Amino acid sequence: MACEAEHSPLGMFECQLCALTAPYSYVGQRPPYTQSIVLLEESYVMKDPFTSDKDRFLILGSRCSLCGRLVCVGPECSLFYCRRFCLPCAQENAAAFPPEVQQDLEKKKSPRKRPSSQHGSRT
Amino acid sequence: MSLPRTREGRGPRDQPPTPSWEEARERWNWHHPEKRRLFEDAFFQAEGYIRRGSEECQKFWSFFERMQRFQSLRATGKQEEEAGRLRHCIPALADLPPTYDPRYRINLSILGPDAQDARGPAGSLPPERVSEFRGALLHYLDFGQKQAFARLARLQRERAALPISQYRDRILQTLKEHQVVVVAGDTGCGKSTQVPQYLLAAGFSHVACTQPRRIACISLAKRVGLESLSQYGSQVGYQIRFESTRSAATKIVFLTVGLLLRHVQREPTLPQYRVLIVDEVHERHLHNDFLLGVLQRLLPRRPDLKVILMSATVNTSLFSAYFGQAPVVQVPGRLFPITVVYQPQEAEPTASTLEKLDPRPFIRVLEAIDSKYPPEERGDLLVFLSGLAEIGAVLEAAQAHARRSGRWVVLPLHSTLSVAAQDKVFDVAPPGVRKCILSTNIAETSVTIDGIRFVVDSGKVKEMSYDPQAKLQRLQEFWISQASAEQRKGRAGRTGPGVCFRLYAESDYDAFAPYPVPEIRRVALDALVLQMKSMSVGDPRTFPFIEPPPAASLETAILYLRDQGALDGSEALTPIGSLLAQLPVDIVIGKMLVLGSVLHLAEPVLTIAAALSVQSPFTRSTRSNPKCAWRALESDHGDPFTLFNVFNNWVQVKSDRSTKSRRWCRREGIEEHRLYEMANLRRQFKELLEDHGLLAGTQAPKPGDSYSRLRQHRERQELYQLKRQHEEGAGRRRKVLRLQEDQDGGSSDEDWGGDTSQGAGDVDIQDVKFKLRHDLEQLQEAASSAQVRTRDQMTLLKLVLARGLYPQFAIPDPFNSSRKDSDQIFHTQAKQGAVLHPTCVFANSPEVLHPQEPEATEGKGSQDNRDPMSSKHQLLAFVSLLETSKPYLVNCVRVPALQSLLLFSRSLDTNGDCSRLVADGWLELQLADGESAVRLLAATLRLRAQWESAMDGQLAQARRRRRAAEEVVALSKELLQFMASKVPASWVPAAPWPEGQEPSPDTALLAQSNADLYSDCLRSFWTCPHCELHVPLTPLERIAHENTCPQAPRDAPPGAEEAAPEPLRKVSDLQRPYHCKACQKDFLFTPTDVLRHQRQHV
Ligand SMILES: [Zn+2]
Ligand SMILES: [Zn+2]
Repeated sequence: MACEAEHSPLGMFECQLCALTAPYSYVGQRPPYTQSIVLLEESYVMKDPFTSDKDRFLILGSRCSLCGRLVCVGPECSLFYCRRFCLPCAQENAAAFPPEVQQDLEKKKSPRKRPSSQHGSRT
Repeated sequence: MSLPRTREGRGPRDQPPTPSWEEARERWNWHHPEKRRLFEDAFFQAEGYIRRGSEECQKFWSFFERMQRFQSLRATGKQEEEAGRLRHCIPALADLPPTYDPRYRINLSILGPDAQDARGPAGSLPPERVSEFRGALLHYLDFGQKQAFARLARLQRERAALPISQYRDRILQTLKEHQVVVVAGDTGCGKSTQVPQYLLAAGFSHVACTQPRRIACISLAKRVGLESLSQYGSQVGYQIRFESTRSAATKIVFLTVGLLLRHVQREPTLPQYRVLIVDEVHERHLHNDFLLGVLQRLLPRRPDLKVILMSATVNTSLFSAYFGQAPVVQVPGRLFPITVVYQPQEAEPTASTLEKLDPRPFIRVLEAIDSKYPPEERGDLLVFLSGLAEIGAVLEAAQAHARRSGRWVVLPLHSTLSVAAQDKVFDVAPPGVRKCILSTNIAETSVTIDGIRFVVDSGKVKEMSYDPQAKLQRLQEFWISQASAEQRKGRAGRTGPGVCFRLYAESDYDAFAPYPVPEIRRVALDALVLQMKSMSVGDPRTFPFIEPPPAASLETAILYLRDQGALDGSEALTPIGSLLAQLPVDIVIGKMLVLGSVLHLAEPVLTIAAALSVQSPFTRSTRSNPKCAWRALESDHGDPFTLFNVFNNWVQVKSDRSTKSRRWCRREGIEEHRLYEMANLRRQFKELLEDHGLLAGTQAPKPGDSYSRLRQHRERQELYQLKRQHEEGAGRRRKVLRLQEDQDGGSSDEDWGGDTSQGAGDVDIQDVKFKLRHDLEQLQEAASSAQVRTRDQMTLLKLVLARGLYPQFAIPDPFNSSRKDSDQIFHTQAKQGAVLHPTCVFANSPEVLHPQEPEATEGKGSQDNRDPMSSKHQLLAFVSLLETSKPYLVNCVRVPALQSLLLFSRSLDTNGDCSRLVADGWLELQLADGESAVRLLAATLRLRAQWESAMDGQLAQARRRRRAAEEVVALSKELLQFMASKVPASWVPAAPWPEGQEPSPDTALLAQSNADLYSDCLRSFWTCPHCELHVPLTPLERIAHENTCPQAPRDAPPGAEEAAPEPLRKVSDLQRPYHCKACQKDFLFTPTDVLRHQRQHV
């Protein structure tokens, strides 16, 4: 039960794009669950709910480095390339990314519809 | 080039300091375990994210291999592209690196050992390889994150897609405004999993959610834990009979209705809960109905307690009205359209089909599906049948069809299958093949199988019905209700449009009752009434049930409890009654436990009581086979002793080498999980008896030396680890069924735990759990101390069982000895002509029940209705009478007739000289010798009083156990002598009393109240051989006098081998306050004393 208290949730993470919610128990770059991993962005983290292994954690999301929106790590909401970009910002600045990333962005533009993705990608 | 080759395989220290990239790639063999080990040493430390030797570590290496293959393909396939393309200049993004690298997409980094640091663990590794490894590790971790996140997102999407999620706010809002809310939604709307989570998310705690079935508690707790992302925390827990995952942090607990009722029993206002969810109220289980009544009364006293009733969308107004028009939130189910096809069967007049179900209509449906629907179109078939025999009949035919067509896998589903065998219905059929699941009504509500497109509804259900007059359970076939028919139909439309074939006419459907008969109207209410009494809810007759039970059932139950001594004359709970109320078992079994611990036979009785409380461990296929292996363990004293032997042998095998037990069970034809259940139940009984001071507490385990303590600790740790691994792995993957899966489908144990011949690889999780829960050494000790070593022990043990079972006795038909083995019949008080269940030991060796050798009876016995005089008449005590095609006696013990009746009967009538006895107005015995009869009766009276007082003593002063111990030793001894008495007797079956000699109330020897033994009419002069008293006395008064005569030596009953020791002199039970009118004084007199006293005034 001691470990229970250690990882008790700090609050609810909610993605501002897809509304995914999950309780997080740490925010920062050095998740307390393990010694050997650092995160390259300020992340909202929870203990991995799918395993009993106490070392495991799950990164839920972080803020977009451009607009500051809180977004989940889901590929429909954001991408990470050195920094976190929410998908709307990434789309807007697609030209600044290397072609490999641009290709990905191009794929995501098309058919799938997301709650608050940017309009006008199709006419 | 030649130099390095010779060095291949050596340690890295021998590597040339700066090999070229190509060279190194050539020589560095990642498959080499030695190489891998070096990296594992450096990166996978004990406290690292991935630990050496773990499953995770293996997964990493296979990921690593895949990645290497992929990269070498890419490297040869295309050239590195020049990344110097012109990009728009955006100031905020100006710092992005100009060249693309997939690593930039990974948002984490490893704090591994530094390859540059020559002294560190990675210092000796080639830097190129280190960076290769690091890169792979990063990708692996990233991959793991993506997978877990995708799983989380999918979980949430699925939750949001459930019909009930639209009603979340409405439910919470209604609950805020009302004390009781009814949530009505059909299976599949998600109410059972979602409502608890809505409460959790809304900040509720102290939530209890009741389920009618144990299995649902576990699976729901798991599911809700998973969905609410606290699977491995302790916010969500469950509590069932043997297991609890509940802790102080638990906010919501799933528990059985029975368990919640026990909480009410302890704390009537349920202070530990703030919200109660009562699920599946529409199923109208006995306990659920009772719980609703309890809650209805409790709510005014607990205005802060919220109650959510969850029901299918049937008859919701009943529940709403019962709770003062509580609001109903109706959630529509998510059902696809279902086509109903009525296929009434032509009446088949042949009598032979009455015995066995005709499978042809079912096979016709299979054929119709084969011809009408192409095999590429998926969709499985669920067939509802009334019972096991019907499943068996269709199984056979369906398997034959499956073999012919190659398009079906046939699987049975019913509650007596092991969990593992039941789980098979969730596996998937190979492409082009459909599952055909033959199920009882278990699949109507309790088990939900995805992918069902076709349903066949036989329209029948077999249910236990109860005849309160005969106290007889009958397994009878009924038409189902319209509600059930709709449930069954609905199973076809959960994943797409479906078809429901009803094997009855639409007019039949219209004639069905709208709802099933609630359980309270069709079962014995003994246990319920007992529980009601112990919860002091007042007179059961006036309890405000949602629908009251039949008055006759209540009266029968009350009478039964009085008969069993659980209630006294004023229907108040007796000490033994209140103990029985706390034992979660049948009253009969509970009594055995109490009686057994009173006579210091607790260990064997614990095992037997547990064995009689679980389903038969013998596999179906071997049950009626007299030659199968377990028959060697049969006891000719009766079936409970066979079970006892089986259990003890199993414990022996387990303590020998526990992994062997599974194989042993298979060989013997025994379903091992029943034995696990027995072990659990046995332990629970033991704890209950200890709690009530009837059994000395278990000795604390011997401390042992520190080494063995350490070893034990480590063993337990390993077991926990195994259990955890198993739980995490469970349900992760569905297997694909083999086409011939169904070959052994009929017997569950064959499938149990998969193929054991695979050997060490697979973990026997039952064994692991067993070892975690039980101290095997202790159990083995108990098992060996429970061995019945002596005849005496066996005799006493049988007495305990028989007394517990009385009046469930059957008398062998007098003509049995001249009948074939298979034609042996028996008569119970209410039922003539019962037969032995085929599993019964006496079914194969009925001769042990015959009073004499068959040849001796031949001449005389067949002429006369009357049995010969014999001291060897026996009765069968049975645990249950089950009526299926015939009335079957199940679980029988043979006991000596005369002594049993003398000791157990509620009333005993005699004629004047006590040569004829009628027990409970049912069985009549003629005794050969009047004088010894009187002596036997005298001993009977004394023993009964002694036994009662020993019991009362134990129960009332259980804490002062030692005191009662001496009394018990004496009692045991006397009981044994009594049992050894050889008084020839013969049955007088159903013969009227001779004219003028009908038993009058005056001669009621053991009237319930023990009140008046005083009678004028049968008195004759008699001289006491001890005190010389000479008075006219009835035989009963003689007995009474002899029992109290201060000068009388304590004789053993006639025929006993040795003289009984002087028992403790006690105040006679026959003493009554007596007021003499002549001398105006008050006395405490036995009837004899009264006579003697009166003589003074003559
Ligand atoms: Zn999102
Ligand atoms: Zn943004």
